[in-house]
Amino acid sequence: MIDLESGYILRPVNPVFIYFSLFCALLLNLLPIGNYGWVPDWLIVCIIFWNIHQHRYIGVTWAFIFGLLMDVHNSDLLGLHAFSYALVAYIAIAWQKRIVALSVASQALHLLPIFLLVALFPLLMHWILSGEIIWWALTGAGQAFIEALLWPLATRILLAPQRRPIDVDHTRPL
Amino acid sequence: MLIDYRFKTLDPIRNNVNWILRPLEYIMLTPRNVYQASTEYFTTRGTLEQENQIFKARQAELALLANQSEFLLIENQNLRQLMDLQKQVGFKTLPVEILFNPPNPISQRVVINRGSDDGLKLGNPIANDAGILGQVVRLYDRSAEVSLLEDRDFAVPVQVARNGLRAAVFGAGRGNPLELRYLPVASDLEVGDILITSGIDGVYPPGFAVAVISRIERNVDKNSSNVFCVPIAAVNRYRQALAFLYDPQWDAKAPTLNGKFGGNIAIPNSAPGRRQTRSRGMQ
Repeated sequence: MIDLESGYILRPVNPVFIYFSLFCALLLNLLPIGNYGWVPDWLIVCIIFWNIHQHRYIGVTWAFIFGLLMDVHNSDLLGLHAFSYALVAYIAIAWQKRIVALSVASQALHLLPIFLLVALFPLLMHWILSGEIIWWALTGAGQAFIEALLWPLATRILLAPQRRPIDVDHTRPL
Repeated sequence: MLIDYRFKTLDPIRNNVNWILRPLEYIMLTPRNVYQASTEYFTTRGTLEQENQIFKARQAELALLANQSEFLLIENQNLRQLMDLQKQVGFKTLPVEILFNPPNPISQRVVINRGSDDGLKLGNPIANDAGILGQVVRLYDRSAEVSLLEDRDFAVPVQVARNGLRAAVFGAGRGNPLELRYLPVASDLEVGDILITSGIDGVYPPGFAVAVISRIERNVDKNSSNVFCVPIAAVNRYRQALAFLYDPQWDAKAPTLNGKFGGNIAIPNSAPGRRQTRSRGMQ
């Protein structure tokens, strides 16, 4: 795969690293930070990243499974996150070709609506089911913006193993 | 989602997923616990001494009250028997630890470390030393979810401690003051009145502090008053709490059952009346 930013050809991805990163993101999500609207959802950043870069490994099914875990953790309706993660994973895979070609900053901007959809999905669902809007829950939008800001960081960290040079010449480091 | 919302039949799945998820959650709790333990470890000797003195004074005070309350309890029971009133039901307490506060914009909940394996039941109240915190709304094997007082539309039947006026306190969502609804303008309420549980619902044992009235807006046109209260127990602060294993129907059961629960308040098991409770369909 070509890194369109630098123009180099990336190394092949290690599937173990994908699953390890997702597991780490899940653990980060389980951190007891508290019930605040701005707390970023690390898992969805990670899932969308792999959906866009390696959708053969991580697709809608994995998004659904992780969404189910988050439902139980958040004591939400069962299927709320599962559905929104799966939906967003589908959108991400559909946009994959277009988004990979952009620079990282505009990638983040393009992914902002996706993050907004995930962040405000519980509010939307609650509105459909019970007919009342909880205005407080709109602070979840802050979460989406933080996730978009985290995107360059995610790209840097998660692509780092693939950006390693293939053969390092130890006698001449540059 | 709809199945879960309407029928609540998916709880076994939740329970199984929890078996996988809970160890991970415990792992992720350790950084916070280590941090808190270390800050506690480095408290100075002076503060400890100060605390010790306060506790000693408090303990002396409470010991005195406890002696008195034993006497009052027996007297109360005797009087109730004389007047052929229903007996007060004892309850057992179970110490619980609040694990974390799940990030959920819609509800205000905490997860505690005791579940149905420890004898907890759906609807059991949770309190700390100051007053009621909330109620168990979802039960797993080894853990449970507790709705806090602040949760939207979370209702507790209360009584004004000063004059015995009955009402219901409703949660109004995160960060908003609790509301006392459905009260006429002329009701005898003052700012600073303490609201205690009335026990008429059969879920909360009577006489525990819930909230203090903080603001009253009397609305003469609509013949209603908006009364706002603040919870007495610091709802989002402490990690230790007590669960009340309280069931008003215990008094109606055969005496042999009592030994199993081993309640810490010894009240004989024969009561003239039996209070019916409805299992509440809260999620």
